[in-house]
Amino acid sequence: METSALAAATTDVSLWSLFMQAGFIVKLVMVGLLGASVWTWAIVIDKSVNYGKARRQFDQFEQVFWSGQSLEELYRSLSERPTGGLSAMFVAAMREWKKSFERGARSPIGLQMRIDRAMDVTLARESEALEARLSSLATIGSAAPFVGLFGTVVGIMTSFQAIAGSKSTNLAVVAPGIAEALLATAIGLVAAIPAVIAYNKFSGDAGKLTARMEGFADEFSAILSRQIDEKLAPRAAAQ
Amino acid sequence: MKRSLVVSAVLHALLLGWALLKLGAPETFDMANSEALPVEFVPISEVTQIQQGDKKAPVKDIAAPVPTKRPDTVANAENIGDNNVDLKSPPKPVEKPSNTESAAAPKPTDNPLPDPSDKPNDVKQVAKEETDIADPVPTPKPEPKPVEKPPEPKKEEPKPEETKPDQPTPDEQALPKDVPVPVAKPRVEKPKPPEKKPTETKTADAKAAEKAASDKKKAEQKQEQAKSAASQKSDFNADEIADLLNKTEPTSGGAKRSNKEVAFGGKKTTGGEKLSQSELDGLKGQITDKWTYTAGLEGAEDVVIEVRFSLDEGGNVVGDVEATATGGPSSTQNALLSAAKRAIRRAAPFQGLPPEKYDTWKDVIVQFTVADLGG
Repeated sequence: METSALAAATTDVSLWSLFMQAGFIVKLVMVGLLGASVWTWAIVIDKSVNYGKARRQFDQFEQVFWSGQSLEELYRSLSERPTGGLSAMFVAAMREWKKSFERGARSPIGLQMRIDRAMDVTLARESEALEARLSSLATIGSAAPFVGLFGTVVGIMTSFQAIAGSKSTNLAVVAPGIAEALLATAIGLVAAIPAVIAYNKFSGDAGKLTARMEGFADEFSAILSRQIDEKLAPRAAAQ
Repeated sequence: MKRSLVVSAVLHALLLGWALLKLGAPETFDMANSEALPVEFVPISEVTQIQQGDKKAPVKDIAAPVPTKRPDTVANAENIGDNNVDLKSPPKPVEKPSNTESAAAPKPTDNPLPDPSDKPNDVKQVAKEETDIADPVPTPKPEPKPVEKPPEPKKEEPKPEETKPDQPTPDEQALPKDVPVPVAKPRVEKPKPPEKKPTETKTADAKAAEKAASDKKKAEQKQEQAKSAASQKSDFNADEIADLLNKTEPTSGGAKRSNKEVAFGGKKTTGGEKLSQSELDGLKGQITDKWTYTAGLEGAEDVVIEVRFSLDEGGNVVGDVEATATGGPSSTQNALLSAAKRAIRRAAPFQGLPPEKYDTWKDVIVQFTVADLGG
């Protein structure tokens, strides 16, 4: 079988024939790496769309938030439709605030803590959503070259066995088998390089977005804390 | 996420489809246009030894004889010329090339024709007398035959130009017919009768025997004279044997063709008469390999050692190794001399010497300096 593959290789060295001549393991490696590449680019497209959307949302929300609009009105308009990012944190904090005041909060410190908790939980959820699947990018980026190399080693091994069988070291006999084996490494690198670049870029973007959310959480927490002091102080003085 | 996965898969499919369609087999390297560069390993001896060429032509890089005009006909021809047959004679300006190769008959044969002198006749008489001697041995009646014979030589003498070897046999046959008794005996081999003669002739006829013996001696002498005369007559020259053997006119040399411009060189390419530099270096290298050089000898760099030794065909040292040293202090000389002798003994048998050139490396003289030993 191997000798016939070698004989055929001398006539046709296009990509498809190289793939078809490869052994079972090498084919499996190539198909797996192709799948990894597809997955990588799916993540890249998804993330770049999502991050762009999130950045635009953040900008819009910050514009609205700092426009001097009443927080109550803002909460009413935002709570009606499901949101993500900064607006989700705002909604979570405002919901906690409202519940506390509707039932009559006793301690301003307890209220502050509950609001912070609510915002932290939302922040964690949001940043998790941002960083989801980035780890698979990292895995593909680091493992794909090795998988491709594995395919190459197996391919070269089998092609050397075929050479030993054919008892000829003519370069025309040796070359197709090695080209076929190297195709595996090429596909591995094709999958890995975008994955590594995308992982670095998206993890940086996710870090920036998370930092922005944390900054908003701190600021909003400070605003609410001031509001609590203003609302609870007359009540405490009245008592 | 699903949408982006689909987008990614579609993009990959498109890219792969494009790659498979457009990136077919890469262009094969076109070997037809590139010209192969022949590389030849030329032993130095081919450069240093005499190359075939013309002695009168100006010196050029490549020695070449006078160019010939006809295409190559004889494979492995050695002599330059336009012939169809490889003749050894040097090319001479003659109009037609010879097509035949034939051995020449000796020139002297033409000379005897004008003068039917005594010398060729003498040779014949010798042969005849031997037959006479053969006859008297078996029969005790040799007397009448010499009497009868005198007319016979006279018959032969006028015929010397005719076929020579035929005549003795009719004589032999004619004699027994005259005499009925000795029918079977004339066939007896000739060398035997002379031995028997002295014993029998004494009883029968001493005179006849003596006469025969003396005739024979004379005949032998004459024959020798005739031979030497013949050899003196021919213009035999050892240097031109090829010419002598060749009856055909030495027209224009051999059949080896030359198409290069004539350049200085010898008549033939001489090869294998000297050890080439590489072979000599190889021999030297085998000695230095076995030479344990002790560094730090005083004035060693000034010493030149010359060793002489004989080798047999197997490369073994025969007899003693002579070594002489010049320059440097004598203590260093002695140390290096003994080291050289040891090295040669250990290096034998020498490898890589061409057996066909044994005459050239039978006696080896090699010089060494400390630089050769890496010191």
